[in-house]
Amino acid sequence: MNDSTIALNSPSALWAGLSRVPGVAWILGFLVIGFAFATGDFLSGPNLLNIGLQSVILLMLALPMTLIIMTEGVDISMGALLTLASVVLAWVLAHDGSLMLALAASLAIGLVFGLANGMLVAWLKMPPFVVTLGTMGMAEGLALLFTDGQSIVVANDTLAAVYGGSLLGIPQTLLIGAIAYVFTHWLLYHTRFGTYIFALGGNPDALSLAGIRTNAYLIAVYAFGGLMTGLAALILTSRMSSGHPTAAIGMEFDAIAAVVVGGTSFEHGNGWLFGTLLGVLAVGALRNGLNLLTVPSSVQVSCIGLLVIVALLIDGFKGKK
Amino acid sequence: MNTASSTAPLLELRGISKQFPGVKALDDVSFAVYPGEVHMLVGENGAGKSSLMKVLCGAYTADEGQFFYKGEKVVIGSPADARAFGIAVIFQEFSLVPYLSIAQNIFLGREFPGRFPGTIDHTKMHREAKKILALLGLDIPTRTLVHDLGVAQQQMVEIAKALSQNARILVMDEPTAALSDRETERLFAMIRQLQSDGVAIVYISHRMAEVFAMGDRITVLRDGKKVGSLLPGEATPDELVRLMVGRSVDRSYARNFCKTAGELLLEVKGLRSAMGVNGVDLTVRSGEIVGLSGLVGAGRTEVARAIFGADRVTGGEVLLYSKPHQGGPDKAVAAGMALIPESRKAEGLALIRSVCDNLVLPGLPLAFPNRIYKATKARQIANALIERLRISTPSALRPVRLLSGGNQQKVVIGKWLGSESRLFIIDEPTRGIDVGAKAEIFALIDQLVQQGAGVLMISSELSEIVQVCDRTYVMRDGRIAGHLSREQLSEENILKLGVQHE
Repeated sequence: MNDSTIALNSPSALWAGLSRVPGVAWILGFLVIGFAFATGDFLSGPNLLNIGLQSVILLMLALPMTLIIMTEGVDISMGALLTLASVVLAWVLAHDGSLMLALAASLAIGLVFGLANGMLVAWLKMPPFVVTLGTMGMAEGLALLFTDGQSIVVANDTLAAVYGGSLLGIPQTLLIGAIAYVFTHWLLYHTRFGTYIFALGGNPDALSLAGIRTNAYLIAVYAFGGLMTGLAALILTSRMSSGHPTAAIGMEFDAIAAVVVGGTSFEHGNGWLFGTLLGVLAVGALRNGLNLLTVPSSVQVSCIGLLVIVALLIDGFKGKK
Repeated sequence: MNTASSTAPLLELRGISKQFPGVKALDDVSFAVYPGEVHMLVGENGAGKSSLMKVLCGAYTADEGQFFYKGEKVVIGSPADARAFGIAVIFQEFSLVPYLSIAQNIFLGREFPGRFPGTIDHTKMHREAKKILALLGLDIPTRTLVHDLGVAQQQMVEIAKALSQNARILVMDEPTAALSDRETERLFAMIRQLQSDGVAIVYISHRMAEVFAMGDRITVLRDGKKVGSLLPGEATPDELVRLMVGRSVDRSYARNFCKTAGELLLEVKGLRSAMGVNGVDLTVRSGEIVGLSGLVGAGRTEVARAIFGADRVTGGEVLLYSKPHQGGPDKAVAAGMALIPESRKAEGLALIRSVCDNLVLPGLPLAFPNRIYKATKARQIANALIERLRISTPSALRPVRLLSGGNQQKVVIGKWLGSESRLFIIDEPTRGIDVGAKAEIFALIDQLVQQGAGVLMISSELSEIVQVCDRTYVMRDGRIAGHLSREQLSEENILKLGVQHE
């Protein structure tokens, strides 16, 4: 799955994407140049690797978030779900479960929440924002209940090796991120499922008139989000060597920001996966650069908010011309 | 080409009836299509053409009636059934997905399976799509996103989609509405080719020239009934129009027509808007009800919205009470103009609020000059209006959504009685209202003009325009196609102006 197959199979999608590149590419370029001047270390090898490593978890939320937003939905429960999955994973390991068992538990939690989100949205026609607000509260509360508000510390070498280890000289975490990206790309551009995601946002009536059971696919989109969140919990827990009850609270904000900065629209199924990758890197670069400048995290959130607005302004301006 | 009479019908509908709450959309309609014929379906707005089309494609289930496919009795109860018999429909609202490619749209839901389960064979899909586009004489890359196509090209993709399903019966709803002359020619050439391949085509049109140029047979619907089935040689366009309108004229809304109109309230010169108003001139004087007629899609509502400032005006001028007027709806209301919109539930009413709240809303500045709201006074005003308008509601505090359609409409119109407005633009005042309430609504509108107001009334129901209006403008394609004085007003004359003769 290299660039040429992308071009071969969806050059029109790529072209539509390319005409949008400037929005997010301008931002990414501006951030990189700005931080390179403002700090000494930003462009150093270790720091760039750091940005990459830190961005993988965000990418794993932003990828399914792109698909969900393309169906004119949203999933704001992701941050809370990631947190819950992480503490469950840590708990299983802390009680001498195997890493596989822990991962299975994490994925199961993700799947259950994702299915619940999808079924409520598809069958009961409830607004995705409200549905996932509800499940967000549930996941957040369960994480606190489960841990009694304390971190579950895991001293487990196998777990530590997930985040820290390398394969053929490439950090494992980056490999997982790359696989997640390629898999999602394949899903969106090469399968019926992906085609129907475009249709779910663009013209669901056309899809049901074509005899497709739209609800099944809508539920699957949210379920995919839950599974990816469960997988991301493995990396998060490994990185922190613990399960913390508020570890990833609010992370859906970064994910939605990355998707929007990347040029995916909340309307008409107008999505672009590569843009999301760039958007994730932009958010990652911003967080990292501001950290180097020792800007407090509250201000960082404001900056990401500003980033979203600026991205929309640039794209809106281009759209007008 | 036309061997229709010698062969058996491909599809036959017998005695189809379809009832909706309050209206019989189709009443014992029989209809047959033969292979290789273009069957024109004509009728006024609301005559039942769309309903018949939806029954044909399985989107509606008929209450009564039978289907015969090649002489055998069959059941068409769902879109899937219709597809199985080779029936494909091209709706006016397209069923395309904007951010998928042409090829993906053509084969939506019928993708060619790739090597792995769930994957798509893109190579084959684009190859097949290209073949179909070539049949239509289209040379657009099949990877182009539908979003990047013009309306005409989108229409062609719709047709390609229908053809790819091996349609034997192709239903088209006003297919040329969005096409240029050249594109229309191309479409007609394609229709002729399909005809020679034995495809039956059901073609809905308002354009007389098309009906006579392309049709092998014409079926006329009126009020849900079939009123005629004829060959193009058997009638002139004028006779066809007469058949569409019918002769029965119901004079139930008689009013005293305006003898001498008062001062000029509204004058519109060369108005153009971003939504397709294309140079409109009209006037409304005090004491008259002026109709704005034309077929659906002619641009009537768009004119109303442009005058009111709800759509962006791109040219021309509006004189209100002889003063130049421009700006958005807030300015229009402040200047004394009221727009009573087509969809009262979406735009005209705060549904969950009480009758009282809705009634006093436009008159608030007048009733409470010092800007302090007093509930008792508001109630008094509302009760007076309720009595005057004969709105049936147990109390002024009842939420509007619980009232009947007719009473809701009285609230929508009545609320402006308390304001300073003298110019009213009323869009489809009787949509979804029963006959009794209609008469009361018209009495209310009459009351407005008796008090010196001027009304511009948009209606799709020609009989209403004829009975109620002092004079009318007829629109076509975003322009005023003609003006009819009281003496000239008849449904026939409106239709003659509203349909395209060429």
